[in-house]
Amino acid sequence: MSLREAIQYSLMILLYLFLQIFFMRNIVLFNYAFCFIYIAPILLLPADMDRMYTLLIAFAVGFLVDVFSNTFGMHASATVLIAYLRPFLIHYQMKSRGAERAEVGIRAQGLGAFVSYIFPLILIHHSMLFLMEMNNFGMILYTLIRIGASTLFTTILIILLELFSKR
Amino acid sequence: MLQLVDFVVRNRFFLVFVLLEVLSVWMIVRNNTYWGATYFNTSNYYVAKTLAFSNSVRDYTKLNEINADLASENAHLHALVAKLSQTNPSQLPAGYVPDSAFAARFSYTVAKVVDNETNKANNVITIDKGTAHGIKPGMGVISATGVVGKVRFCSEHYSVITSILHSNFMVSSKLVRSKEIGYAKWDGKDPNLIDMIDVSKYTKVYKGDSAVTSDQNSVFPPNIMVGKVESVAVNPNQTFYNIVLKLATDFRNLSYVYVVQNHQLVEQENLKARTIELKK
Repeated sequence: MSLREAIQYSLMILLYLFLQIFFMRNIVLFNYAFCFIYIAPILLLPADMDRMYTLLIAFAVGFLVDVFSNTFGMHASATVLIAYLRPFLIHYQMKSRGAERAEVGIRAQGLGAFVSYIFPLILIHHSMLFLMEMNNFGMILYTLIRIGASTLFTTILIILLELFSKR
Repeated sequence: MLQLVDFVVRNRFFLVFVLLEVLSVWMIVRNNTYWGATYFNTSNYYVAKTLAFSNSVRDYTKLNEINADLASENAHLHALVAKLSQTNPSQLPAGYVPDSAFAARFSYTVAKVVDNETNKANNVITIDKGTAHGIKPGMGVISATGVVGKVRFCSEHYSVITSILHSNFMVSSKLVRSKEIGYAKWDGKDPNLIDMIDVSKYTKVYKGDSAVTSDQNSVFPPNIMVGKVESVAVNPNQTFYNIVLKLATDFRNLSYVYVVQNHQLVEQENLKARTIELKK
């Protein structure tokens, strides 16, 4: 990774964190759909990036969001989990398509493959987050609706942002 | 030994992953550690400053509602002053001499809400007063319209409050008409509704009755509004009502709150602690 790319990606992470902390934390649709846009940079990091760095970046990003929302490590643990699972999914996709280079991004992969890459990861992240937050089992149905709605919301927003970003 | 090194090197991603997960889960479970309580929450000076900045924009759009709340509170206080100046405490039993120190045991500090959340399963509020203004963890917090919560962490200039919309928070409350005491506790779903538990089903509970903080509270002054009875249901298997209250405070528009300091709280708690020790 060149220095130019490194700066680009760091700026991207900062931008998404800014979006999350200042805007998205206040936006909740119908009391059900939350948006955790800050996981987008973790998903969009280059596919050949060192896995160790991905894990550490994911932890740092999740931890910052935690500090701003008083959740002490919930976001960090969910984000680290998807950062760990990400390479397996990329590898699997690459194999099934028979591609030589692994790349992520809506332009490199195409819409279908991109959605089938981000959707499971977002679902895992949101499920972990909301299930950890749930404090009694009676809330399970309510939590499941929240997971579904939030996953859809985040996925759509990441696709939109990805469509309108030039890279 | 070499095999061990080889194993670590081969599985280093997995090991780092497990390490980070354990670290975060440990932070969640032990959320009252010194580091967690001092730096890694919104009472952190820099975090709170950023949030205050983003909140200041939102505040302008809510000035109308804030004004209305303050005006109605003024009216309520005026009525109270008039009532107090006319009547003597006639309901007191003969021979009971009210202690002026007891009557004046509460003092109030006004604080501005810096950050507010209502949508999570455990909600907290951040305010812009801290230890420098005499605020300590454990103090009660009320607003112009009703009960808000309890102080959890303090830094020098900011504090984090456990909102009433939090799973670990209960308020001892009293129904005004039926004079029945129970606990108000949030079920984690709708930020407008709260459950009232432990009210015996052998008394009559009226719909629309007000629930206020009871006299048994040590944190909140008595007769602070909690909510109004929205619905009452009886479960045939249980001896308690399922009462749902509509919260008096609209938490989405919360802007200014009062931190309540009970000067006799320490004395009261010490006394209680002594009885517990005696039981052992």
